[in-house]
Amino acid sequence: MKVFRHIRPTYDRKLIYARLGYKRGTTALTQADEASLEELIQKCEGLCDIAVAYRIMGVQSNQDGVIILEDGTGFKGKALGELLSCSDKVVLMASTAGRRVGEAINGLMSSGRASEAVVLDAAASEIADAGLDFVMDYIRTQIRKAGKTLTRLRFSPGYGDFVIEQQRDFARLLDIGQLGMSLTEACMLLPEKSVMAIAGIVALEAQTAADFHDEIQ
Amino acid sequence: MTRQDFKELFRKGMVFLDGATGTQMHKSGMPSGACPEKWAVENPEPLIQVQRDYISAGSNIILTFSMGGNAIKLKEYGLEEETQSLNKRLAEISKEAAGGKALVAGDISSCGSLLAPYGEISFEESVESYKKQIQGLLDGGVDLFAIETMLDIQETRAALIAIREMCDLPVIVTMTYENGLRTLMGTDPLSALVTLQSLGADAVGCNCSSGPAEMVEILKLMKPYAKVPLIAKPNAGKPRLVNGKTVFDMDSDTFCSYVEALIEAGANGLGGCCGTSPEYIAKLVAAASKYRVKAVAPSHVSLVSSNRKTVMIHQDLPLTVIGERLNPTGKKMLREALIRNDMETVSDFARQQMEAGAHMLDVNAGVPGIDERAVLTAMVNAACNAVPLPLCLDSSNPEALEAALRIYPGRAVINSISGEQKKLDVILPLAAKYGAMFVLLPIDDTGVPQTAEERIAIIKRVYEKAQKYGFTKEDILVDGVVMTVAADQKAAAEALKVITWCSREFGVNTVIGLSNVSFGLPSRELINSAFLCMAVAEGLSSAIMNPNDEGLMDAKRALDVLKSRDEHALAYINHYSSGKEAAAPPAAKVEKSEKSLFDTVVEGHSDRTAEMVRHELDQGVSAERLVDEVLIPAIQEVGRRYDDKVYFLPQLIRGAEAMEKAMAILTPYLAKAEGAGLKPKGTVVIATVKGDIHDIGKNIVALLLRNYGFSVIDLGKDVPADRIIQSAIAHNADIIALSALMTTTMTEMPKVAAMASEAGLNTKVMVGGAVLDKEYAASFNAFYSRDAYAAVKLAESLV
Repeated sequence: MKVFRHIRPTYDRKLIYARLGYKRGTTALTQADEASLEELIQKCEGLCDIAVAYRIMGVQSNQDGVIILEDGTGFKGKALGELLSCSDKVVLMASTAGRRVGEAINGLMSSGRASEAVVLDAAASEIADAGLDFVMDYIRTQIRKAGKTLTRLRFSPGYGDFVIEQQRDFARLLDIGQLGMSLTEACMLLPEKSVMAIAGIVALEAQTAADFHDEIQ
Repeated sequence: MTRQDFKELFRKGMVFLDGATGTQMHKSGMPSGACPEKWAVENPEPLIQVQRDYISAGSNIILTFSMGGNAIKLKEYGLEEETQSLNKRLAEISKEAAGGKALVAGDISSCGSLLAPYGEISFEESVESYKKQIQGLLDGGVDLFAIETMLDIQETRAALIAIREMCDLPVIVTMTYENGLRTLMGTDPLSALVTLQSLGADAVGCNCSSGPAEMVEILKLMKPYAKVPLIAKPNAGKPRLVNGKTVFDMDSDTFCSYVEALIEAGANGLGGCCGTSPEYIAKLVAAASKYRVKAVAPSHVSLVSSNRKTVMIHQDLPLTVIGERLNPTGKKMLREALIRNDMETVSDFARQQMEAGAHMLDVNAGVPGIDERAVLTAMVNAACNAVPLPLCLDSSNPEALEAALRIYPGRAVINSISGEQKKLDVILPLAAKYGAMFVLLPIDDTGVPQTAEERIAIIKRVYEKAQKYGFTKEDILVDGVVMTVAADQKAAAEALKVITWCSREFGVNTVIGLSNVSFGLPSRELINSAFLCMAVAEGLSSAIMNPNDEGLMDAKRALDVLKSRDEHALAYINHYSSGKEAAAPPAAKVEKSEKSLFDTVVEGHSDRTAEMVRHELDQGVSAERLVDEVLIPAIQEVGRRYDDKVYFLPQLIRGAEAMEKAMAILTPYLAKAEGAGLKPKGTVVIATVKGDIHDIGKNIVALLLRNYGFSVIDLGKDVPADRIIQSAIAHNADIIALSALMTTTMTEMPKVAAMASEAGLNTKVMVGGAVLDKEYAASFNAFYSRDAYAAVKLAESLV
C-alpha cells in the first residue's frame, strides 16, 4: 500500500463547469463571471489538500460478476466483472480533499453565499476525483515499461450494480483512517469530498471491451 | 568521459541514444513479474544482443539495463543488499555489448514511490538509495549517467545530487511529461530545465509518456533558455486499441517523420522509448543526417524556478516583485508562529502575497534562539506546498542555507553573498553546488561603503571570484544597498548610482530591499513608492517589497508601462479594466429606474439590488409594486434562462441571492401594508433524510423555494422521519421535500411518506438526489425533481 499526501492533481476546468450545468455555446458568461469562477476555483485548489492511497492486489477469480481478491474479499458487479476480465491484478484507490474545503463550503452556505458554495462544491468534487486520476497515471508510468497498463475506466461503489456497501471493504483494505477518512453507518465517506475506486492492471496488448468502447467514443 | 568531452561530442552534431530495451527483453523471454535487473544479470545474452542491435542502428550512447536498480526499488524484490553488485554487473554487460563502439550511460530512474512531503521517503533516504546504485555503476565502468522517466523534480534532484556528490561524469536528465506539458507532479518543462541545468545536468530533455509530436512542443519551451544540449526520446506514439489489442500507433516511418520538427525545435540528442526498436533508431539516424542541429545559445535573462513555475528577471521585463513578508523582523504574529512551528501561518502569508501579485517570496527564519536550520527548511516546505512561486532564501547561516537549498525543489536565490571573506569562502561554494542564483551585497569585512564607487569595487571583486565557480552575470542580482534616508539623505542617491552602473555599464540585474529606505520615518509608503519610481527609472530589475501595499503595486504596474516593460500595457489594462469596475461604489452604479432593478436581480448583483430597492422605496415606489412588477418577473426570468441553459447553477443561485437581499428589505414594508404582507405560495418542510449528511443540494432547493414565494421550514440534514412529520403537522405544511444522495439513505424516503400517510396528512411529498429517479419516487407516491429549479416548478404545481 502506498500513501501520497499534499498532491496537486491536474484537473479539467471544463468538468467543473459541466458539474454546474454549463452548456457550451448556450450558457452565457460575462468576463466578470468567468473571472469570478476562476477565482473561486483557485481558492478551492488552495483549500483542497489531496491525499491518496492505493493498493495493488491479486485476483483469485472473476466469474459471473463475482470477483474474489487474493485475500478472499469479494466484489459483486456485472460491469465490474467485465472491466476486470483481463486483469490478474487490481488497484484499489482512495482520494480525499481533506476537511478544510468542506468547512469552507458549509461556511459560505451558512453565510448566505450559496452561489460561491456551489462552485467550491463542484470544484472540490472534481479535484478529489482528479486525485484518483493522479493515482492511475502514476501507476501507469510505473508499470508501462514492464509491458503493463491500467484499464482506462475505474469503478466506484454506488454506481450501477456495484453496491455502495462495498465501500466497507475498500475502507478496510485501504485503511482509510490513515488519510483522515471514515465511513458512516450509511457508507458515506467523510470528509464529504472523498472518493474510492477500483481499476484493473492489464497487459498492453489486452485491454477490455469496455475500454475499446470508450476508445471509440 | 569528462564533462568537457561530452560538450564536444554534442558540439560536433546530433547524438543518438538507444530505443526501448525493456520491450525487447520481454520479447526475448523475460517473464512478467520478475526483477528485470536480476533477470538480465542471470540472462545477459538477450541484453547484449539488443544493445548491439542499437549500436549497429547508429546509437552513440546505450543505457545500462538498470532503470529499477536503486536500493529502494530493489527492496520490493528483496534484493536491496545486491544493489551494488547487480548494478556493477549490468554496467559490465553493457560495456561488453558496446565493445568500445558506443558510450555506456548508467541508467537511473524513480524509486517507485514519492518523496516527502508527498510520500514517505525522505530526500536523504532517496539520495542514499541512489548512491548505492551509482557506486555499482561506477564500479562497472560507465562513461556517463542517464536519469530518465522521472515524474518528480525533487526525486530527480536527489538522483542528480547523488551523482554529483560521487563523481564528475556527465549526466543526461530526462523527465516524463503528461498531456498539458507538465509532469504528473506538475512541473513544466522550463522549470525542469532551469532547475536541472543549474544543478549540474549536462543535458536535459524528455522521454516516455508522449510521442514525438508532443515532444516538439516541450523542446520549443526549453530551447531559448537551454545552456545545455536538449534530448528527446519519444514513445512510438500512444498506446491504441486495434482489433482489441493495444499497440503503439506509430510505425518507424511515421515516427521519423517528426525528426525535422524535433531538430527545428532544438533537439541535440535523439532516441526512442516505449514501442521503439533498433529499426526506429536506424531510420532516425538516417533521417536526422539531412538536417542541421541548432547550437546551444541561451538568452541572457536571469532565471529562477520552483517545482511549478519559472520567473525571468531582467531590466527590460516587468519589475520582479519579491514578497518581503515571510521575514519575522518586526512582525510579531509571524515571529510567534515560527516559535511554535505554526507553518499554516507561513502558508497563509505566502498565499496572501501571491494573490497580491508577488512573483517570488523572500523567506527568512531569523528569530533569536530559534533552530534556524529546522525552521527555515519547514518554511521552505510550507511555502512550496502553498504557492508555486520561486523562493529567495534569506539567511547568513551556512548550515540553515545548505539544508534549505538541498530540499528546495527548484532554483533558489540566496540572499545574500557579500564581499566578506567568510561569505565568499562558505556560501559561494554552496550556491555553486546547488546551482542557486545569489544576491550580491556590496559590503565587505570593513562594513557598508558609503559611496557607490566603493560598492562597485566590491561588486567587481565578488563577481571575479564567482566566475571561478562557473557563475555568469545572469546568475547574480546586485543589491544597491539601500540605507535609510532618515539617517543620511544621500543614501538613496548612492544606491541609485550602483543600480545605474549595474544596468547601464556592467550588464547585471539588480534588486533592492525597498522598505529600508524609509525606516524611521512616518508615512513610509510615500517614501517607498517615490524611491521605487526613481530606482526603476535607473533600470532596477527586482525589488524585495510588500506586495500587499496596494499603492506600491499600483506604482509598479504604472512604471512597467512607462518604462516599456509591460508590452502593449496589457498587464496594466487587464488589471485595471476589471478592477475599476469591481472597485466602483455600488451607489454610483444605481440607475434610477425599475428596469434597472429588474436587471440587477436577473444578473445576480446582490449588493446593487439592495441599494436600488432602498432607492426605489425612497422615491415612493410601494413595496408591493416592486415585488409584483419587478422582482417576481425578474426571478422568473432567471428561471427561464436556467431552463434554457443560458444560465447555469451559480447564476441561478445568484439571482435567488439578489432576490433574498431585496426581500429582506421589503418584508417589513409588506408586513405593514394592508393584508399583512405577501401571502406565501405554500409551506414546505424540507430535510435531508436520516443517515445522510450531504445537504448542499437541499440548501439550494430551500433557498430557491424561499425566493420563489414559499414559506420554507428547513430542518437540516440527518433528520429522523418522526421529526419531519412532527414539523409538517406543526406548520400545516403543504409539501414535505426530502433529499438523499446515497442508495443506503434513500430508503428513508418511503418511510417518511408512509408515516405522513399514517398521520393522516394530506401533505405532498417531493424528493430529489443524485441516486433517485421518477420511478423510485412514484413507488411511494412521491414526486421527483431532477434539480433545484425543477423543484421550484414542481412545488408550484403541487400547491
